[in-house]
Amino acid sequence: MIVEETKKDVESQPGNSQSIATVPKTASTLRKVLIGVLVLAILIFLFVFPVYLVPAIQQLPAGSKTDLSNSVSLKKDPSYKKQITQLNKDIQRLSKRYNSFTSGQSYLVINTTDNLFSLYRNKKLVREGHCSTGSFKMLKTQEGRSWIFKTPKGKFTIQGKQTNPAWRRPDWAFVEEGLPIPERQDDPVRYEYGVLGDYAMALGDGYLIHGTIYKRFLGMPVTHGCIRLNDEDLEAIFNSLSIGSKVYIF
Amino acid sequence: MENETTNKPPVRRYGLLTLMIIILALIIYYTVMTMLAPAEKMKALKEVYGFKQDEKSIINDTILTDSTFLALFREKSFLQSRTALAETDSIYLSMNLADSVVSLEISGVSVASTKFSRLSMSTMLKDRNDYVISSMLSKPFTIERGFASIPREPLVIKMAPKDTSEFEPDIPPDTADYEPVNYIMEMDNGTVIYVYQEEKLNKGDGSHLFFFDLRYRLSGTWETMKSVFTFKVPEYHPYIKVRLPRSDSKRIYRALPEHGQIAVYR
Repeated sequence: MIVEETKKDVESQPGNSQSIATVPKTASTLRKVLIGVLVLAILIFLFVFPVYLVPAIQQLPAGSKTDLSNSVSLKKDPSYKKQITQLNKDIQRLSKRYNSFTSGQSYLVINTTDNLFSLYRNKKLVREGHCSTGSFKMLKTQEGRSWIFKTPKGKFTIQGKQTNPAWRRPDWAFVEEGLPIPERQDDPVRYEYGVLGDYAMALGDGYLIHGTIYKRFLGMPVTHGCIRLNDEDLEAIFNSLSIGSKVYIF
Repeated sequence: MENETTNKPPVRRYGLLTLMIIILALIIYYTVMTMLAPAEKMKALKEVYGFKQDEKSIINDTILTDSTFLALFREKSFLQSRTALAETDSIYLSMNLADSVVSLEISGVSVASTKFSRLSMSTMLKDRNDYVISSMLSKPFTIERGFASIPREPLVIKMAPKDTSEFEPDIPPDTADYEPVNYIMEMDNGTVIYVYQEEKLNKGDGSHLFFFDLRYRLSGTWETMKSVFTFKVPEYHPYIKVRLPRSDSKRIYRALPEHGQIAVYR
């Protein structure tokens, strides 16, 4: 009875019939939103579960961790002592072998990514600075010939040393400038003087360490594969390295 | 009409329930199969690298859990691996996880090295006292497949001019060009090595790394799903994840050959 009266009172108030009608509408919207959020959460879970959760679960300790023993009786065992002695001997032998790979002589390290050089003597760094290495340009002709201008990586040795070197221009030097290629390799047109600086050191396959007239490009990858240095660095390296010295390029 | 409206909800409810049960069953099945993977991997590693008794001189098995023996064995394994690599002319990487040092070497000569600040790895590899893992590390890892955010060789193609009138001198490269450096290397023994950029130098670096990592995770998940739903235990890949300074990271990636080798010490 009281409820009925209250209901009537509420209904008689202006505007309340409209608010009662909106209550189920709001509830239904809320329900739809909740279902949407739930579906979204399930979808996110189904995505995250195999991609992130499972790999994380796989990293949980499996319980197979090795338990260390520190048995005194084992340490007294002659076969144990023999094993430890053998391991120590192997380590000494391998360490000696490994250390022998680094020469006490002068050697040069070239970093082609940053265009830097480092000169070592008696396993100590004595000089470092900028250089220029291969440009990673691929020159292509209409006829299908191509050249890649990159500095080779790995271990090299100085195969030859030269003062006041002349540059014998290869075919690509003509192709690059749109010039006709001389037929003969010893054609005087191929020779250019004063462009390689005062010294050159050969690494094999036509690759050289030499000077440059384009000093503003030092520290940049601009060469056709050779290693360019400034005059002072070139002289110091030329005087430090002898034929057979190692050059490590990476 | 009334019957139809009263029948619909239970059908929908049961359908939903069945779907939920199926999804739950699949999740449980998937979890169980993937949880079996590390154990299967360890079993496979034990077969290859496990301790084998020499019939001529039988050794007490308890030595394999002795701390002195294992410490020396780990050191020997690393030296063995590095020496094997030094005897080749190739450029290789030496990762000393115990000292947090990564070093690029050529024929035994360290040409570049860097310290890393953040390291994470699989529980399997974390167990420093495991003979099998130490034994596995006595052989260099070889890169089988790699994924990177930068090209290994940034080649630029230039067409040769037809004559001197077409010739244009080279423009010096733009050294300010920026790209984040992240790469993943899958090794021949199933280990995956992640090298991610340590610094966030640009605004988009974080999101770039997130999507780079996600792409790789998705491809791995797809492979796992294929195995699981063909009723096979998926392959487990132990991992090593390091964060390196960008310049060092780039230098290492560009220097390492496509199928380069890595010596690991932990």
